[in-house]
Amino acid sequence: MGDSQYSFSLTTFSPSGKLVQIEHALMAVGSGQTSLGIKAANGVVIATEKKLPSILVDETSVQKIQLMTTNIGVVYSGMGPDSRVLVRKSRKQAQQYYRLYKEPIPVTQLVRETAAVMQEFTQSGGVRPFGVSLLVAGYDDNGPQLFQVDPSGSYFSWKASAMGKNVSNAKTFLEKRYTDDMELDDAVHTAILTLKEGYFL
Amino acid sequence: MSRGTGAGYDRHITIFSPEGRLYQVEYAFKAVKASGITSIGVRGKDSVCVVTQKKVPDKLLDQTSVTHLFPITKYLGLLATGMTADARSLVQQARNEAAEFRFKWGYEMPVDVFAKWIADKSQVYTQHAYMRPLGIVAMILGIDEEKGPQLFKCDPAGHFFGHKATSAGLKEQEAINFLEKKMKNDPAFSYEETVQTAISALQSVLQEDFKATEIEVGVVRKEDPVFRVLSTEEIDEHLTAISERD
Repeated sequence: MGDSQYSFSLTTFSPSGKLVQIEHALMAVGSGQTSLGIKAANGVVIATEKKLPSILVDETSVQKIQLMTTNIGVVYSGMGPDSRVLVRKSRKQAQQYYRLYKEPIPVTQLVRETAAVMQEFTQSGGVRPFGVSLLVAGYDDNGPQLFQVDPSGSYFSWKASAMGKNVSNAKTFLEKRYTDDMELDDAVHTAILTLKEGYFL
Repeated sequence: MSRGTGAGYDRHITIFSPEGRLYQVEYAFKAVKASGITSIGVRGKDSVCVVTQKKVPDKLLDQTSVTHLFPITKYLGLLATGMTADARSLVQQARNEAAEFRFKWGYEMPVDVFAKWIADKSQVYTQHAYMRPLGIVAMILGIDEEKGPQLFKCDPAGHFFGHKATSAGLKEQEAINFLEKKMKNDPAFSYEETVQTAISALQSVLQEDFKATEIEVGVVRKEDPVFRVLSTEEIDEHLTAISERD
């Protein structure tokens, strides 16, 4: 892909063994609007701030939380345009899976493939890593699931997680409030409270 | 971590800076302002109007060839603020894309789908090192079959939003402040009010009264969803109406 003049990776190791472009990408995520997710006993909730730059913006034209399939949704923190690319690729992958297996794609599989795309962009020639972290929420045969995928392409399953600005306060708040047997309504309520916590800071 | 990048190319190509910023994208925004032009778009109840300055730097230039307002299809218009050459390149690709969409799917490309296409293209330039971001902010206008009049703005970073009113270029912030006051109570402007709000916003922000040859105006109306560039006579009528009103 791209010009052959750029067939070398822009993300290379520093002398201390770090991939600094990925660290910088995480900084971009950390300055994005807060988003969070909570896994309840009977469902998953994801939420995010939707602060628009001006009252002139038509807020119905903006949708930060998007569907990847009918039972898998995603929210991001970081660079909106980058998240659109990932959503588009994931939707296609989900449909390809369905075409092959005649079954809706399990959440873990879709997360794995999305993460693989993100990893590709940390190694391929002439591209930079994605400046977003994704929270993928889905419900399949294994019950409710919540995954966080980072710019490096690593992903973990979470009971509750937050990303973006004010993440440490949000996570502390979630740790205090989270219980394994939470119902979905409680989880939604907690999610909103957590977002409100960060609003005045 | 302080000398992390090593090569220090973060200002030359679109890779991350240590703070997680993309300098090339930020510089692209500056290039839009450097063109010295300001543009304004306003969405009314059943029409959309965009207005931009028409600066002809040399009297020997053929004025009719100086334009920032491009019809993409019969129903979609694009106002490009910034580097003219980048604008023409985008317009060429956009016209092709809109025509292919019509051919492939059998109906006109909707405004938001078109805006998304432009924004996604801009995003690619922010992620692949071999192409720089385009130095333009694009305002798209059209009438959507279901949602009515639509005005979208796409920027070099790949963001796009629908707007009730917006601005781009040199005096962008001043214009947005002006428009926020005007649109605060969600007014439903008629066609004449829409055009006059857009033109008077530009006049107020640049603090000069225009002649009809110094601005370009493009409109779409629900009752006639074709994208039209207003003629000098029509612009004159509106300018007269504004000065009589004040």
